[in-house]
Amino acid sequence: MRTKAILKHTALILVALVMLYPLLWMIVSSLRPDDLIFRAPGLWLRDLHVANYTDGWNALSQPFGRYLLNSAVVVLGAIIGNLVSCSLAAYSFARLEYRGRRIFFGIMLATLMLPFHVVVVPQYVLFSELGWTNTFLPLIVPKFLATDAFFVFLMVQFIRGLPRELDEAAVMDGAGHVRIFGQILLPLMVPALATTAIFTFIWTWNDFFSALIYLTSPDLYTVPVALRAFIDAQGSSSWGSLFAMSIVSLLPVFVAFLFGQRYLLRGIATTGLK
Amino acid sequence: MGRRLAGTRWLAAALGAALVLAGCGGGDEAAGGKVTLRFTWWGSDGRHTITQKVIDAFEAEHPNIEIKGEYGDWTGYWDKLSTQVAANDAPDIIQMDEQYIREYAGRGALLDLAKYDVNLDGFDASVAKAGEFDGGLYGVVNGVNAPVVLANPQLFQKAGVKLPDDKTWTWDDYTRIATELTAKSAKGVWGSQSFGSDPAALKIWLRQRGADLYTADGKLGFSAEQLAEFFDQVKQLRDAKAIPTAELIEENAGATVNQSGSATGKYAMGFWNSNQLAQVSEAAGQEFKLLRFPSLTGKPKDAQEYYKASQFWSASARTKHPEEVGQFIDFLANSDKAAQLLLSERGTQPNKKLREATASKLSPTDQVINRFISDLAPDLGAPTPPVPVGLGGAGFPLGESTGEVLFGRLSSLDAARKLIDEANNNME
Amino acid sequence: MAYTRRNAKAGYLFLAPWLIGLVVITIGPMLASLYLSFTDYNLIQAPQWIGLANFTEMLHDEKLHNSLKVTFVYVAVSVPLQLVVALATALLLDRGMRGLAFYRSIFYLPSLLGSSVAIAVLWKQIFGTAGLVNQLLELVGIEGPGWVSNPDTALGTIILLHVWTFGSPMIIFLAGLRQIPRTYYEAAQVDGAGKVRQFFSITLPLLSSIVFFNLILQLIGAFQSFTQAFIVSGGSGGPAGSTTFFTLYLYQEGFGKFDMGYASAMAWLLMIIIGLFTAINFLGAKYWVFHEN
Repeated sequence: MRTKAILKHTALILVALVMLYPLLWMIVSSLRPDDLIFRAPGLWLRDLHVANYTDGWNALSQPFGRYLLNSAVVVLGAIIGNLVSCSLAAYSFARLEYRGRRIFFGIMLATLMLPFHVVVVPQYVLFSELGWTNTFLPLIVPKFLATDAFFVFLMVQFIRGLPRELDEAAVMDGAGHVRIFGQILLPLMVPALATTAIFTFIWTWNDFFSALIYLTSPDLYTVPVALRAFIDAQGSSSWGSLFAMSIVSLLPVFVAFLFGQRYLLRGIATTGLK
Repeated sequence: MGRRLAGTRWLAAALGAALVLAGCGGGDEAAGGKVTLRFTWWGSDGRHTITQKVIDAFEAEHPNIEIKGEYGDWTGYWDKLSTQVAANDAPDIIQMDEQYIREYAGRGALLDLAKYDVNLDGFDASVAKAGEFDGGLYGVVNGVNAPVVLANPQLFQKAGVKLPDDKTWTWDDYTRIATELTAKSAKGVWGSQSFGSDPAALKIWLRQRGADLYTADGKLGFSAEQLAEFFDQVKQLRDAKAIPTAELIEENAGATVNQSGSATGKYAMGFWNSNQLAQVSEAAGQEFKLLRFPSLTGKPKDAQEYYKASQFWSASARTKHPEEVGQFIDFLANSDKAAQLLLSERGTQPNKKLREATASKLSPTDQVINRFISDLAPDLGAPTPPVPVGLGGAGFPLGESTGEVLFGRLSSLDAARKLIDEANNNME
Repeated sequence: MAYTRRNAKAGYLFLAPWLIGLVVITIGPMLASLYLSFTDYNLIQAPQWIGLANFTEMLHDEKLHNSLKVTFVYVAVSVPLQLVVALATALLLDRGMRGLAFYRSIFYLPSLLGSSVAIAVLWKQIFGTAGLVNQLLELVGIEGPGWVSNPDTALGTIILLHVWTFGSPMIIFLAGLRQIPRTYYEAAQVDGAGKVRQFFSITLPLLSSIVFFNLILQLIGAFQSFTQAFIVSGGSGGPAGSTTFFTLYLYQEGFGKFDMGYASAMAWLLMIIIGLFTAINFLGAKYWVFHEN
């Protein structure tokens, strides 16, 4: 039994190293001067070039903290939006009977299937007509309207996995849909909600394209857009600063994940349901 | 009943939140008779700082005009610009590239600057007209470049190979030197970068044979046989190990300056634009040497070098304030203040007087570039026509075709025919 | 009867945000792209109606056929591979082990790095001609190819890159595993069922709706895969077209060559293909996806 556990951990640690290599490489690169990043091989550091962090922080028109803050605002809005709107829609799809439900469900799936590059222009026209370009609104408001079908579908699948008897018992007790949804299903859906929150955090935090298109004023740039401002395909690039700031911007996501993953553990098992 | 109401209320609250958020939005137009212009460019952080200083200098002289800078990286820049143009929301002043200028101008997206006060009198004659085509001036050159070979003297020395006299060297010299360099250098070092995916090199190669990449009326200026011959030469160089393997070439495609084989000490010779000498030297940690392209005959004029606009200042055809846009572009092009700040970050000053006025402020490397550009003037070939509509960006995938030849997927002639078909198709 | 009517009203109310989003934000641009697929549209000038010309052109477009081939290979290999890895890891990390949170976080790291520019650089450091992999191979005397830049292996490295980011489906599996009541396993143990039988008779059926979800979304995602190919090849789809995914080609047509009409037509073709695959899966789901009702 003991040797089995050791073997298991050895294997896991090996895999973990493979998974960690890129991060280590990024950290090492963030501590190298620009002209050594692509010439010095391996992970050995002769001395620490911390200047990448201070230079990178101040290299753009605003201190880098500003872009972190911008990203945080967008992420927070997106998380709240997705949690509220997607869970409501999911309850409707998974538990309620009405005309058109199947068709709507099909349409929802279909919205996932069209490559986003071709809707970029029409969508831009729409938000531009509303006067929303160069604000965070195009990045946040759609989330309140459950446009991320991925999460609606995710929650539908989770709710379908929950025993129907729960709702039926609640109906017998005279509970309405708001109570069934809010007091019975939601607490059981914590893992799905946590998944939604974590994914929304990471995907929004890393989202380059929408932020690029909609935010024109550098003061409003989010982290991924700001990071690209360090490199120029034809001219001089500040790779050291890029890696340093990439590490800085990875920290919040990693912390969010460390914190959020605890909620992934809260299933039926931990809520005391028999 | 009550319960249902609660449900409704909750939904209303959720929607309300969205609407409240929406209410916070709205435009942020500057108030009080002040004209606000949007100005966009691509580049990295160093350029952003310099450009912002130029904006500040202009605003100090023109208190009634406010310039809002917008910047980003190369790839994102074009995605964003095309989306904004499509939505009728383009910035007023646009940093333009020669690849795209006719793409946008030819479809009516750029302002004819000839109608506004932009003075080009002081400009190098052979480059002032680079932004002039189809009956209008659609861009003001902001930097002069020439396609060059950058040599790494250290690698030449290590291999015991002499640097060529770039005014008289021929393609045979080039092949011999590159082959020798590879043979006498350490493993992993190559005599030369491949020029097979570089449209500028193909252009010079064609010009030396009496053709050109494009014609003035916007068509392809060469035959399939000529292109096939070009592919054949690249293949021969590869087989002679003068240039790297197809895999290495592919790996280096799209690399930034720092990642390039030149900067990492893997290529003794590389193909660049003259203004990149400074960046390559800095990234490599040693000074490189600027060389002209080899020719067929060894006569300086037969190298068919040309001045190339490194970038343009263009403006949106839909701008509401063309007069002010003209003032700003004129400031960028002709003001001493702007020149003292911009120096040669975007390429050698096209305005000859300003080139002299700023010369002493340039770094030693930039002074070398300056001199190189000025020395080239008497030996230039004819000016070269702009990239036709349809061939900017991905419209002329030379690298892909060269790859197909080098990986043995297509014969030189088939690859040439395919590329020409595709290009003609894209130009329709 | 009364229950049903109330049910319907509540159904629409709960669906309201989604419905509004559909009408206001989603449907318009989708229909616009449908319209554009019948036009010649260069992003700058007004679209010109050309009927089915874009669609007939697709019949003769060899690059498009190649991109379909590349995409199908990618989908067929990477989706099952990633799902198996994700499920296996999720089971391994589910419960009763020391250092769970640590491993989970480490395994999720590659997904956090996402599509950053750094990945593009890194991938060449690992799979380049002089990369980490070849350095290791050299130790045992093998001279490896330039994995990312050889047309025979480039697609393979992108599949690997995809599998490497198995964190997201793993998380979803983990969340799904947490929903299975422990009592079921306790009962099975009492009955003397072994680990393997428990997996097939309890875990898999109860997890089937989540497996189904992951399968559908991975499938849709893989058909639309863009970012990884884009960052690894720098947007070119090279070497020699071997990583020109369908959406990468679509992007090149739309934004690189200003042919948004053709790109829109391509998008609708892809949508039909994905729709077919999804529909087949939904039909098949009747036989293996287990719902609690």
